[in-house]
Amino acid sequence: MLLGVVPFGMLYGIGALAAGMPVWLAQFASAVVFAGAAQLVIVQMLAAGAGVVPVGLTAGLLNLRHLLYSASIAEYLRHLPRRWRLLLAYLLTDEAYAVAILRYQATPQQEGEPDLRHWYYFGCGFTLWLTWQLSTAAGLLFGATIPPEWDIDFAVPLTFIALLTLLMRDRPSQAAAVAASAGVLVFAALPFRLGLVVAIVFGLLAGAWMARRGRRSAVSGSGR
Amino acid sequence: MSTPVLLALLFAVGLLTFLYRYAMIGLLARHSLPGWLHALCRYIAPASFAALVAGELFVQGGEVVFALAAPKPLAAGIAALVAWRTRGVLPTIAAGMAALYLFKFLL
Repeated sequence: MLLGVVPFGMLYGIGALAAGMPVWLAQFASAVVFAGAAQLVIVQMLAAGAGVVPVGLTAGLLNLRHLLYSASIAEYLRHLPRRWRLLLAYLLTDEAYAVAILRYQATPQQEGEPDLRHWYYFGCGFTLWLTWQLSTAAGLLFGATIPPEWDIDFAVPLTFIALLTLLMRDRPSQAAAVAASAGVLVFAALPFRLGLVVAIVFGLLAGAWMARRGRRSAVSGSGR
Repeated sequence: MSTPVLLALLFAVGLLTFLYRYAMIGLLARHSLPGWLHALCRYIAPASFAALVAGELFVQGGEVVFALAAPKPLAAGIAALVAWRTRGVLPTIAAGMAALYLFKFLL
């Protein structure tokens, strides 16, 4: 898991430098935002000259999935004091969620024993946090020594391609991806790079439409 | 984008992300998410990543440049093949970068 985080963090650091972000600000983003995919997306859009509104909207949409994680893990954290819940919420990333929810589901709470599973969650979350900060710093350090003609920032869209093949598992996700990429070409002329946000929303609608179509044909199929 | 604007933007995105994370754990612990939001969240990542890749490959400064026989689209095609076969991020990056250098050298 950590092995996957390190190149991500370094890539973000290198990409941030290529997009002209000051070093301290790039590291600040890793601490405040602490969401790898969104940070890579921000860097990619800044490099393409996008404005505040499209970048903010895209990052806000992309991070919406954390609401799902929050909803899913909430029942296990209900007994904890507020400071614990604030801290664990801050550490709730894709990876921390995956590890913690598995742990919570695999080890049921024993009657009469203190529930210490949140320490496990905290341990994973904090380790991931530290790894992310350090790998960002490493990327920022090495990024300056890499000449621009190496096109190292092309590794960012390549990362998205790799993630896409993992995400396009069912028809609705495939429809969302295809419609969003077509939408980028159709809406490219919109000002402030708003075309990207419009294209993503277009993709979401296509995904929802395909899911609905799938359900309807499943219902009529079972009726036969 | 100027540094203060970027700082404010990153701060806003960070705050929003924290609110997403804390919303159900701390604020609405007794509520559940509506079904449509749940469904929508599944398509956000594929739609966003696909849109970003398409934009990087075929849009330059707000203009659509649809040339498939250019180094970046060709390299992206090779990377997609490798991603599909290996399902790994690192092999995909390695193959994509190698293909990019090769096509820049050839074309």
